Amino acid sequence: MLKPSPIARIFLHLANVATIAFFLLPLFAVVIGAIQSEKSLQADTRAVFPPEYTLDNFLVILSGGEQKGAIFEQVTYLPDNIKQFYRAFLNSTVVALSVTALTLAFGSMSAYTVARLRFRWLIVFMQANVVARFVPIIVLMIPLYVTFRFGGLLNSLTGVIVALTGFLLPYAILILAPYFDSIPRDLEDAARIDGCTRFTAFLRITLPLSTPGLAACGVIMFIISWHELLIPLILNSKTEFMTLPVVIASLVGDVHVFFNLMMAICLLALLPSVILVLMLQKFVVQGLSAGAIKG
Amino acid sequence: MVSNKASLARPEAVAAGARAGRELSRGWLAVLMNTPSLVMMALVLAYPIYYAGYLSFHKVGIGQLRTGEFPFAGFDNYLRLFDDQLFTLALTNTFIFTAITVTAEVVLAVAIALLINQQGIWTSRVTRVLILLPYAIPPIANGLIWSFMYSFQFGFLNRILFSLGIISEPINWAGNPDTALYAVTVPYIWRTLPFAILLVHAALQGIDKALYEAAAVDGATAWQRFRHITLPLLRPIIVVILVLRTSFAFAVFEEILAITQGGPGDATWVAAWYSYKTSFAPPFNIGVGSASAYVLALIVGLFAIVYVRFLYRRIT
Repeated sequence: MLKPSPIARIFLHLANVATIAFFLLPLFAVVIGAIQSEKSLQADTRAVFPPEYTLDNFLVILSGGEQKGAIFEQVTYLPDNIKQFYRAFLNSTVVALSVTALTLAFGSMSAYTVARLRFRWLIVFMQANVVARFVPIIVLMIPLYVTFRFGGLLNSLTGVIVALTGFLLPYAILILAPYFDSIPRDLEDAARIDGCTRFTAFLRITLPLSTPGLAACGVIMFIISWHELLIPLILNSKTEFMTLPVVIASLVGDVHVFFNLMMAICLLALLPSVILVLMLQKFVVQGLSAGAIKG
Repeated sequence: MVSNKASLARPEAVAAGARAGRELSRGWLAVLMNTPSLVMMALVLAYPIYYAGYLSFHKVGIGQLRTGEFPFAGFDNYLRLFDDQLFTLALTNTFIFTAITVTAEVVLAVAIALLINQQGIWTSRVTRVLILLPYAIPPIANGLIWSFMYSFQFGFLNRILFSLGIISEPINWAGNPDTALYAVTVPYIWRTLPFAILLVHAALQGIDKALYEAAAVDGATAWQRFRHITLPLLRPIIVVILVLRTSFAFAVFEEILAITQGGPGDATWVAAWYSYKTSFAPPFNIGVGSASAYVLALIVGLFAIVYVRFLYRRIT
């Protein structure tokens, strides 16, 4: 391979340092913002590091506003939705896990038929899935709001799960279909000679062989559902059905902006998906490229 | 039909014939296995797209939602839309936002993908571990983090620039109507860059190394190797990124909500924000909101058609 010259190496190192700094800068900001008090934020508006550090922001969020800690003793107003952290965390988890399970179950059946049965209408269906990937959520939300309003599905987790599952299914199929296509048919054929039906061969042979593909699809479905804002924001207005992104969005434009509290709740909301992505990096990479270029 | 004939030659078809009595035909199996997906997608995708079109031609406001009767309005909603300077502004802003973010993403994605592809540079390995990180950040949290970064009084970005001695007065990044739209492009680029980098990086793995060695033997400089080997071979994936990212950038929402809420004034109103505010904030005009969303859908739909017709590789 070509060896870069010493000057080129220095340049490449510098480019890497700049890139790393760009990627880490917002995470640095959220951590530093979350571990200080509002007083520290205001004390010196030109200093990067606060004069003192505190975990009180997490204390007030994780205790549901019960314990205020030292830094909020003087504070009379706290955003109400901060107190909903556990509820929102639970709602987000229920929504993300349900949507992941449903898109994997429905999506793998569809993707299998696309990869194996090859009817002309399935090819058209696959093209429709590609087009569906482009539909902006806001276009769906207005009619869904009106429909769900008359159908009594507003203010429920079910409504959010149904909407997200339908919205994400095309993407799941796009990720899974090429994966099933890459699995040799021989094992299925053998199972069928041994008496399996096509469907049991799918359940017992193809699905277990597809664990990496299902993991790639599942982690992406989980992350998109965990991140989704517009669907729960528009369908649910009652606090008890808020998901984490909705709670975070509700802090925007509140009567008083507590950047320290905001950064703490953002940090708590982003930790699960960051941990998941870092743990399953390989699968995320596979799924993202499978869904974009192949099918 | 061709595939039916092909499958006759396979042993599975013979075995299937033997079990024909108790096994579903391929056609019925395909229908049954797709029923859950088709029902969900009909409910959440197909019907709403039709219904959004229906709503856009009817008068739908708070009063109509209560009674459940939507009087026919013809093209009224669309006429009001194109009379509304705010909508024209929102569309213009969306175009500017999209042009900036997509161009920056393609350039940065190619540069960073080449960077993490360097084998002998240890810092490249560090970068490679980090590139997926922004993908894991919830968009609304990303927006809020950047609103802290940009804050005029307490902003983190100003703090860093003060500490480095680059500025002496705080800069109002997102609060200045002249710079706000540019300010909101950066968080969006930051969050969506991993996807583009991944695709370019994957394409780079497919380029034959012998091409570079042959070019080096011929005395080609690094720039010439990039210009005449790498770039032409990356062109297909760059077009894919252009189309995908353009259509997604058209629907930007979370960063706008978190950082500027369309402000200052109406400097950062974009198409999705217009649809959202018109429909779900006073005056709750769902008819006009649907019409505006439909315009957005039509623009994005054009990109989708280009993508399906020319770029997306089907299973064949």
